[in-house]
Amino acid sequence: MNKLLFKDIDEPGLNTIDVYRRRGGYEQLRRALSMPREAVLNELLASGLRGRGGAGFAMGKKISFLPKGALDIYLCCNADESEPGTFKDRELMQKNPHMLIEGIIIAAYAAGANKSFIYIRGEYVLQADILDAAVLEAERAGFLGENILGSDHRLSLVVHRGAGAYICGEETALLDSLEGKRGNPRLKPPFPANQGLYQGPTLINNVETLATVPAIMGMGGDAYAKLGTETSTGTKLVSVSGHVKRPGNYEIELGVSSREIIYGLAGGPPEGRSVKLWFPGGSSSPVLTGDDLDLAYDFDTMAKAGSMLGSGAIIVVDDQTSVVDVAYKTAYFYRHESCGKCTPCREGTNWTVKMLERMKAGEATPMDLDIIASVCDNIIGHCLCVLGDAMAMPVGSMVAKFRDEFEEYIEARRQESYLGTADPEPELALIQGAVA
Amino acid sequence: MITFSIDGREVQSPENLMLVDAAKYGDVEIPVFCYEPKLGNPVGACRMCLVEIEGIPKLQTGCSTPVKDGMVVHTQNTRVHEAQEAVVEFLLINHPLDCPVCDKGGECPLQDISFGWGGGRSRFIEPKRHFQKPLELSPLIAIDRERCILCYRCVRYSQEVAEDYQLVLQERGAASYVATFDGHPYVAPFSGNIIELCPVGALTSRPYRFRARPWDIEGSGSVCTMCPGQCNVTFTVRDDRVLRVLQRDNAEVDDGWLCDRGRFAYQAIHVDERVTSPMVRGQDGQLVPVSWDRALSEAAAGLTAAGSAVGALAGSGTTNEEGFLVQRIVREALGSRDLDSQRAPVSRDALLAISDPALQATVPDLEFAHAVLVLDTEPVDDMAILDLRIRKGVRRNHVKLAIASARPSSLDANAAASVRFAPGAGPAFAAELVSAAKGEPSSDDARSIVALLREAGEDVVILASERVGVALAALADALGLRDRAGAGLLVVPSSANGRGLREVGFLPDAGPGLSPVAEPGRHAGQIAEAAATGDITALWLLGIDPLRDLPYRLRWEQALSRAATVIAHTNFLTEGIRDHATVVFPAEAYAEKDGTLTHPDGRLQRVRPAIGHSGAGRYGWQVLTDLGTRVGLHVPRVLTSGIALAQLAQAVPFYAGITQDEIGGRGIRWQERPAASAFPAPAPASVNVSPAPRVGPSAPASGLRLGTFRSIWASPEVEHSPALAFLRPRQKIEMAPSDADRLGLGDGQRVLVSNNGTQVSATVALRQAIPAGSVFLQDGLAEDSANVLTGSIVEVRRA
Repeated sequence: MNKLLFKDIDEPGLNTIDVYRRRGGYEQLRRALSMPREAVLNELLASGLRGRGGAGFAMGKKISFLPKGALDIYLCCNADESEPGTFKDRELMQKNPHMLIEGIIIAAYAAGANKSFIYIRGEYVLQADILDAAVLEAERAGFLGENILGSDHRLSLVVHRGAGAYICGEETALLDSLEGKRGNPRLKPPFPANQGLYQGPTLINNVETLATVPAIMGMGGDAYAKLGTETSTGTKLVSVSGHVKRPGNYEIELGVSSREIIYGLAGGPPEGRSVKLWFPGGSSSPVLTGDDLDLAYDFDTMAKAGSMLGSGAIIVVDDQTSVVDVAYKTAYFYRHESCGKCTPCREGTNWTVKMLERMKAGEATPMDLDIIASVCDNIIGHCLCVLGDAMAMPVGSMVAKFRDEFEEYIEARRQESYLGTADPEPELALIQGAVA
Repeated sequence: MITFSIDGREVQSPENLMLVDAAKYGDVEIPVFCYEPKLGNPVGACRMCLVEIEGIPKLQTGCSTPVKDGMVVHTQNTRVHEAQEAVVEFLLINHPLDCPVCDKGGECPLQDISFGWGGGRSRFIEPKRHFQKPLELSPLIAIDRERCILCYRCVRYSQEVAEDYQLVLQERGAASYVATFDGHPYVAPFSGNIIELCPVGALTSRPYRFRARPWDIEGSGSVCTMCPGQCNVTFTVRDDRVLRVLQRDNAEVDDGWLCDRGRFAYQAIHVDERVTSPMVRGQDGQLVPVSWDRALSEAAAGLTAAGSAVGALAGSGTTNEEGFLVQRIVREALGSRDLDSQRAPVSRDALLAISDPALQATVPDLEFAHAVLVLDTEPVDDMAILDLRIRKGVRRNHVKLAIASARPSSLDANAAASVRFAPGAGPAFAAELVSAAKGEPSSDDARSIVALLREAGEDVVILASERVGVALAALADALGLRDRAGAGLLVVPSSANGRGLREVGFLPDAGPGLSPVAEPGRHAGQIAEAAATGDITALWLLGIDPLRDLPYRLRWEQALSRAATVIAHTNFLTEGIRDHATVVFPAEAYAEKDGTLTHPDGRLQRVRPAIGHSGAGRYGWQVLTDLGTRVGLHVPRVLTSGIALAQLAQAVPFYAGITQDEIGGRGIRWQERPAASAFPAPAPASVNVSPAPRVGPSAPASGLRLGTFRSIWASPEVEHSPALAFLRPRQKIEMAPSDADRLGLGDGQRVLVSNNGTQVSATVALRQAIPAGSVFLQDGLAEDSANVLTGSIVEVRRA
């Protein structure tokens, strides 16, 4: 398979503009700027490129939703890659920042945006430094600023570092944070395309999505659409982690079998172990089991299987790990990252963690599983943003698919706890004055 | 109107109303916690209002979904019930459920919604979230963070309505809690509103805590008489005592907010210091309680003896009826012409011009105008509630705000332009604005303000102090505001019912209905002079203590000492009354009063008695009728406040025929009644303004220019309310850091401010925004009030 995003990725010095240009970098920008905006947009529409951040919304369509008018349009690159298991954007930004920058400039041209931002998570210090340097290089080379390459396109690009909150990867919380406010999700509608950054129309895309744009311009939208499946076009970076022999980022063509990724590319779990469950799209996707390994890895198949492709982060859990620990880790993370603005997420994540803690302490009963399932149901679809769902979906799916294991675990822990060893017939309390 | 379906029924409602409001048109209640339209756009945080809309897969929040024609909404199916029940369950898992000891119990939306939409059971057996509680969020507000459901209302209020930016949510997720940004107490002029906004018992009033349960109390609607804002209030009464003041939403007046003085100063009604019985000064020089008969006959004797040498002054909450009766007694029975209700004299011609119905704006106009000019007044001090209304207009409707004042305004940050003039130069600057508006030569400041107003649009509201006078009318005309709906003048009088008092004729140069008088009498300042020289021998004070409320304290001290008779109707023995009154009548607290007031925009409002009179108190109109009869006024008998109003309505042509029924609970603007056409036409000459040279804000040759202001907290009610005592203002001198440097003074230093041999002591308060060369002192204080000083240039030196 031809790699698009990871072409030359291990070329030394690719993060500098010289090496990038030697490899054909910024040529697609030149070509795009020589075309009318509409033509560039048409290429993106034709490519069928779906957002790589998690929601999988068609990028070209997102651009065409931007209102036309006198308002300033903003472009925000969402580089707040904080989903557990996801580390594809980190490698892209670290090794090939100029591909992202070129993609941003072309996308901004197609969208008519003149101000752009990269909102990068605070922990990505190295990557932010690299981006800062790359932006400076691009500015010096005339790819950013006024009259880019002699065209009438102008663009400023600011790299903004977050302060380390998962919620700021949610697009409206990202905008609030970028505006200098506490990063809390906003009520939608209005959607960012209409009222985003500073109330202006705003295009928000993931790093990988934007970094794909030069490749689409290079091969043409139609050719790109031929890659992958009909509804999941192109190639995708997959971060494989967990119990596999070769964890890492792999570029795959959408539609390959999941087994090919987990066993073929990542080497599968260590000898003698098998896949118990796996998250197909980051820790917020409902889990799949070893039986689902032959499913094609694309947006629609994953959705049909009751999960989602999400950010393309596959986390593999083998049969030596307790599902309760996985559920607890997941729930704990989302409780910690819940912003607290809406009720179901704030209270539901907290409640779920407390119930799981009680299971671990041996103080739970199988009835608690019904309550967890019900709490997860009560969160899903009822929140202001998807953070609550991000906990409820995987935890709910684990309880549903591994109920027997949960029940065994509860009973085993109960036996170990003081409840298991307590005298079954407690002494009767003495009545005051009575003689024992 | 559009038609939509809710729970299977067709309902008509205005388009784009949020579903929770539209549902009410079909008698369907959708429960809410965070939704409160007064706070601005919905945030959809509590998720209580989830409903199903056909065609949308997910449940939607009814608070943020505008209703559309043909929408099909379900609020009563299993899916919605389960979702709403789940939200109640989530909200209650960390709530302490301590309703039996919670102040909110019985009037708590969380209780009501739990009962109506909750599951009635709990599956949560884990430990609840715990906080130290209750804490003092401020001396006025207790916060119980365990009861808090994190609905964001109070935080949104602080951030987006009051704009004091003090309340925030700290931490995140389940650990979130409401706190102030810097950990200091939440002290702000409008902080108490969060108590009423809170849908649970998390924010409770400290003065009201544990005083009553909802089944012990009754509510009684009236009007606050502590400032010209005249906010509508509901008194919470238990056993004939006022225990609480709540807002009584009237969008035409207060928009449903109250200031903290209006909310908490009710405490002054039930304190031992209140005068609750008539008193006369005995042989030993002390005031002693006496019978009504004795006090009335002494007062009558004093007034009769003085005859035409009586001077009468009225202020604060004096009602229209009381003012009308007193001016009749003074004019008709005593033959005096000397009566005044204004702090600084404004002539009848000027009052006619600025009260012209064709030039009047209303309070809501502040919110919807293209531009608002705040001229020589500080809303938060002079008419507090308008501060919030102006902020609302700027924030939500992009009203362009211009401010022209001597002292920096708390609204400066919201203003598109702010200019400063020298203290006292308000009228001169207004004249410059007139010139600028007419295209005549004028100052840059005036031209820039006029340009700003013109650019913003045609609807301009000018909110100005009464003392600016006749130039206001000329300015409104020059800006083309005459007969423009939604534009015009809103003039802030110097006392709470200033407009009513002048319209019933409590003026030296105008009778009832601003009718001309044959020969004008003395205004307040001249009354002081005349009393000091012995030309006036009896002073009659209604709700006013000249030593505190009027300028030229020294002259008033002479006047009060010299006058043979000083009759005061008062609630508290403030200094001037304590030392000089010969007869004291107990004035009514505003919760005891029965009468009418006239709002600065012309709205007549009813003050209705919520409680009986304390001690030997009587209705003001009753006392005055009695006194009038004794001094020989031939009045038809006044048996009720309604009769008093009827007599007044006969005498004021543009109030003709108005009754208490017509005024009702929300008041009525007289300009909107047919009788308004009887308003006397202003003299054409009165709009002829000659621009006076303005004193720029630059420093005078020597000394510092003195400006004064009266803080919202400078009133006897604040001093006597235990809860508000911490806000009691002390004299401070606001000055520019550059002036302080020059004089070698630092922030917090004690200084003496002096001129013409008079002095007050004060503490230096440095403010960057004060123009160099000007300093500001407070009026209306119990001690060290600025009215001790007699000139406009002062010296400041270290104490």
